[in-house]
Amino acid sequence: MQEMILMKDQVAKLFTELSEEYNVFAPIKDNGYIAYRKITNVEEIEFDYFNSKIPPKEILFPQMEVLFEYKTDGKNVIEIEDRKDLDEKNLLFGIRPCDAHSFVLLEQFFAFGNYQDEIFLKKKENSIIVGIGCNSPKSTCFCTSVNGYPFQKDDMDIFLVDLGDKYLVEAVSDKGRELIQRFAWLSKASKADVKKGQELAKKAEDLITTKLDLTNTSECLESNFSNKIWEEISENCLGCGSCSFLCPTCTCFDVIDENAQYENRGRRIRIWDTCQFCLYTLHTSGHNPRNSSIERCRNRVLHKFSYYPINYGLIGCVGCGRCIQACPVNNDLREIIKKINNIKTKEEENIIA
Amino acid sequence: MKDIELKNQEIENTIKDLAKNLLKDRKVDMIIGYTKGTVPLSSSPIFITREEDIDKLIWNNLCYANLAKYLAPRGPILYNKEGQEIKVGIIAKGCVGRAIIHLTVENQINLENIKMIGILCNGIINRKRIEKEIGEREILETSVMGKNIIVKGCDFEETFPFDDYMNELCKKCKVKSPPKVADSCVGECLESPPLIEDDFNDISDFESKTSEEKWDLIKETLSTCTRCYACREACPMCYCSLCFVDQNKPIWFGKTTDFTDIFAFHFNRAMHLAGRCVACGACSSVCPMGIDLNFITRKLEKIVKEKFNFTSGIDKETLPPMMTFRMDDNEEFMMEED
Repeated sequence: MQEMILMKDQVAKLFTELSEEYNVFAPIKDNGYIAYRKITNVEEIEFDYFNSKIPPKEILFPQMEVLFEYKTDGKNVIEIEDRKDLDEKNLLFGIRPCDAHSFVLLEQFFAFGNYQDEIFLKKKENSIIVGIGCNSPKSTCFCTSVNGYPFQKDDMDIFLVDLGDKYLVEAVSDKGRELIQRFAWLSKASKADVKKGQELAKKAEDLITTKLDLTNTSECLESNFSNKIWEEISENCLGCGSCSFLCPTCTCFDVIDENAQYENRGRRIRIWDTCQFCLYTLHTSGHNPRNSSIERCRNRVLHKFSYYPINYGLIGCVGCGRCIQACPVNNDLREIIKKINNIKTKEEENIIA
Repeated sequence: MKDIELKNQEIENTIKDLAKNLLKDRKVDMIIGYTKGTVPLSSSPIFITREEDIDKLIWNNLCYANLAKYLAPRGPILYNKEGQEIKVGIIAKGCVGRAIIHLTVENQINLENIKMIGILCNGIINRKRIEKEIGEREILETSVMGKNIIVKGCDFEETFPFDDYMNELCKKCKVKSPPKVADSCVGECLESPPLIEDDFNDISDFESKTSEEKWDLIKETLSTCTRCYACREACPMCYCSLCFVDQNKPIWFGKTTDFTDIFAFHFNRAMHLAGRCVACGACSSVCPMGIDLNFITRKLEKIVKEKFNFTSGIDKETLPPMMTFRMDDNEEFMMEED
C-alpha cells in the first residue's frame, strides 16, 4: 500500500475522528516523565520524546487490575460481576518498536498452553497499535542485539516515521489498512518523503552502539546455572523491583482477594509482582528456594535469555534499556550479558590450553 | 575554597591509598566503595578483595548509595563462606558513618569488624531533579567544574549551580564526615560528637501549609510510586527480615497502587524511621520515578530533635528515643496537635 502523509497539525483532526470509537492512549508528560495515558485532549500529547518511563504494557496489563467483583450474603458469594470494559476499543499512539515487540512477547505468556488469559487477550485483540520509528535511539538502547531495529514495524498495525512537521504513514496489518482507508483526507507521500524515511532508518540504526552477541547466551546460561559468576553479578543488587516494574516484558503478577466483609462485597485483583522480591518464591512452610539475591538475579536473566528462547523461540528482552537507566546500583544488564558470554570464552581457553 | 572537582580528586587519591594499605596490611578482608557507573548521573557500589582492583574505586558527587546498607543484617557481606565474620573497610561519607554508628547502637553490626575510611563529603547531586529538568534530551556526560554541574548531550550543554542542585538533605547536612567512634575510623572524621544545631527552615514552607494543602502535596509527591521498594532496599535502616508491608499472614497493608495503600506504605515506613533515619537521601536518589521524600525525612528529624533532643548516628552511647524510656516522661507531646 502507498505510504501517506499526516501533517502534525492534523493529529487533532485525527484524534477527533477517532476518539468517539477508541480510547486513545498517547505519550504525555506526567510528573516530569513520559507516560502513556488515555487522553481527552490532543494538546496533552508529547510529540518529542525518547520513550516512556513505565512501558506501555501498562495499558493492556496495568500494575493493578480488577479481575472481577463479587457480592456476598455475608457468608457465600451470591453474584460475580465480570469486567464490562473489555470490548472497548483502544488505540495506542506513538509506541516505539521495542515496546510494540513487547506486546508479542506478552501475548506468548498470556496465551500459553491451556490457560488463556481472556482479559489480556481481549484487550489486545481490541487494540490497534500505531507505532513510530526511533529517529534517535538512546545510548542504552540495544534492540539490534535482540532481533529488532529502530524502524522495525512488523509488530504494529500502522507505522509512522517522524519527518519533522509531518508523519510518513504506512499500514502494516489489515487492521491498520482498514483504518487508514477511512481517512480520505490523508495526502499521498512523495518519493522524496519515502526516501527521507529510509535515510532516517539507516541513520538510526547506525546510532545504536551497544552490540551484544546473544548467539550462544541461552546455552551458556543453561550450562552455567551453578557458576560462581552469579555471586559477582548479584553482589550489589538491593533486591528492589525497579528493573522488572520498568520492564516491558516482565509479566509476573500476584492475585489477591480484597474482601469488604461488612459491606458484603469484594474484588479479586491482580498486581505486578517480581522475582526480585523475597516474597515471590516464599513457600507457606517458610522455605524459600530463591532465598538470596544470587538466585533472584539469576532467575531474571535466565527467564529472559534462556527460558523465553526455549519455551517460545523468542528472546525475552526487547533492548529498550529501561532497566539499565533505572537500576539504583547501576547493575547494567549489558555488563551482565558480557560477563556471561565471557564464561564460555574462558572455558574454551581452558580446553585449548 | 578549592574547586569541588579538585577536592574530589584528592579524596579519591586518599581513599585509594588508605584502602590499599588496609588490604595490604590485612587489617580488612574487603573494601566496600563506589565505582564508576555505566550511565551518566550514576555510580555503582563495589566490593574489592584484591589490591590490584583498588584503582576501580572512585569518589565524586554521584556516590549516592549508603554503603552501610551492605553491612546491615540482611546482607551476607560480613561473613565468609565458612560463616566466619570478616573485616570490612568501607568508604564512609558522613551519613554512611552515621548509619554505621546507629546500626551499632541497635546491635546490628559489630563495629570491631569495620574500618571506616572517612571522607569529608561535599554533597551529593540531586540526580533525579537534573534528569527531570533535562527532560527528553539524552544526557551523555556529567561533570563538576568550579561551582557548577555541567551536563552534556550530543547537541546541548547545560550548567546547574552545585549549591542549588545538591540533594535537599545535603544542603542541611551538619555531619559531612563520619563521627569518630573508638578506633573505627581512618582518614577524615569528626573527633568529638558534633553539636547539632538545625533551624529546619527548609521545611517551613511545608509546615506553613494547611492540612489540606499538605495532603495534596503528599498525594502529588507519591502519586507515581510503583511500589518497587527501591527506597526501602536502599535504606540502611530498613533491615527487617520481613517488612511490615510484606507480611501476609495476615496481610496488614494493602498491596495495590491505590493511593491509600501507597500512602500507608510510605508513612508507616517513615514512622519506623523516627529517630533512626540518618538523612542520607539514598531513598530519593534511587527512586526510579524520581520521588523526593526529603520533606518527610526532615519533618521526622525535626520532631525527634524537638521532642527528644536526639540526632541519630552521632555517638554510640546515647540510646535513641524509641529504644529507651524515662520514668519522668510526661508524654505531653502525645496530646499536642502536629
